[in-house]
Amino acid sequence: MLNIFSMAILAAILAGCLCGAIGFHVNHFKVTTLSFSISHAALAGASIGIVLSLDSTYSAMAAATSSALLLGLIFSRVERGRELVSMAVFSTSSAIALLAIYMSTARVLATTSVATVLWGSLLAVTPQKLIILLTVTILFLLYISAFRMHIDAILYDKKLAEAEGIDVQAHTLTLLLFTSIAIASTLKLTGGFLVFTLLYNPVASASQLARGARHQLILSSLLGSASAVSGLAISYLFNLPVGAAITLLSSLTLLISYGVRATVERTRLREASKIN
Amino acid sequence: MQVVRGIPKGNVVELLGVYVRYSGSDRPAILDVNLEVPPKRLVLITGPNGAGKTTLVETCLGLLKPMRGRAFLLGADTSRREVVQARRMCSYVPQDFMKPPYESYLAEHVILLGFSAYKAPFEPVNRKERERVLWATKLLGIEELLSKPMGTLSGGQQQKVLIARALARRPMVAFFDEPFASLDRESRTLVAETLRKYVDSQGATVFVVSHDISPIVGHADITVKLSDGRITRVEGC
Repeated sequence: MLNIFSMAILAAILAGCLCGAIGFHVNHFKVTTLSFSISHAALAGASIGIVLSLDSTYSAMAAATSSALLLGLIFSRVERGRELVSMAVFSTSSAIALLAIYMSTARVLATTSVATVLWGSLLAVTPQKLIILLTVTILFLLYISAFRMHIDAILYDKKLAEAEGIDVQAHTLTLLLFTSIAIASTLKLTGGFLVFTLLYNPVASASQLARGARHQLILSSLLGSASAVSGLAISYLFNLPVGAAITLLSSLTLLISYGVRATVERTRLREASKIN
Repeated sequence: MQVVRGIPKGNVVELLGVYVRYSGSDRPAILDVNLEVPPKRLVLITGPNGAGKTTLVETCLGLLKPMRGRAFLLGADTSRREVVQARRMCSYVPQDFMKPPYESYLAEHVILLGFSAYKAPFEPVNRKERERVLWATKLLGIEELLSKPMGTLSGGQQQKVLIARALARRPMVAFFDEPFASLDRESRTLVAETLRKYVDSQGATVFVVSHDISPIVGHADITVKLSDGRITRVEGC
């Protein structure tokens, strides 16, 4: 049987890998704003779970998948003001989350159940949650393997893929559903306010360090896992909130990636000018 | 109407009193457009900048939905989901095809991606599809580009790769939006002749959008002239 630390490390590896891979697709499908809104819907769901004394992972999952379906359907029908609709869902979800936390019996933000949902906790990982995370990771890997050509066609040129008869709408909706489940599954580890960090920072770093789509996908997953595990370690060693530690580390990785990229380009330019 | 497999008996494209407006714009980009195109034709769509040529093509494909009127592609209503099936029998080369220098997809992979829509889950690329890629690239004389990343190719080379992708799919209907824009004179003649041969040999219908009619006008069966979003003349229908 795994102890709490082994489970937390395993969960961090899986969460980082899953969010890194999903984040790569979210970025290339150009649904970043949607995933941001879905993250906050998950936070609202988790907060409602606290008020109703339900398992907040499942209430977060219900709220996130509902918002993914709703936004996916709205986006397939509405052309104008899509970003604004997404931001309206974001602000409404945040308001519901704050209201639910205010209404909960836990009056202090540091109360364990509230703190776990807001800041994240190493102790939130249970065998059951680990199995959910593992299942979602395997399902997502199966999905991107099964539809590799469809997804590649969309990544190369979304409009062209649509014109050639690929069901871009169905793939976008599937991706949003995976995003919502991944967010809900990792929410208690990273905290509701920072859960989307693992979706954006690793792919942003990977796009600086690698050019090919496949390399970016792999690197994004690796960086996601590395940030999550090292964030977890720092949180444990210095008694800091897990979510903040993961976010700061992944932001530092992003900063370093920009530095590496700039250095590489400067070196190339210098070598090219020497040849000329 | 039903989507018909094989060479269609009815019209390939039917637009009935179609108005299309872009979101945020007060004026429709195309208005009161009526057009019926029978199979096995090479159709030239021409007109000045801003006439609505690209809008017309994207409406035919169902990428843009009519705010008024109805549009049919191979018998499928473009405002319904059945159009996704109809599109699998079509090819498209968009006007904005250029990829940045860092685009790492190899030209061969980009052409092979054209077969994605027919693929079942986990189904790999087969020998027949690789042969079709070779066939299409030989037609355009671009075999040597297959192993190169798209980002390293010139505008004309990228355009030829996408034309090869469109042909490799062996579509029943193909839409080419300004296919001569980045090509030199020799390549323009080659592409125009290739499209004509494709129509004759495959019994397909090809739509070519071009503000410069010189490379293709001699090969066209139907010429549609657009101005200010309206069809002003249809010749040869």
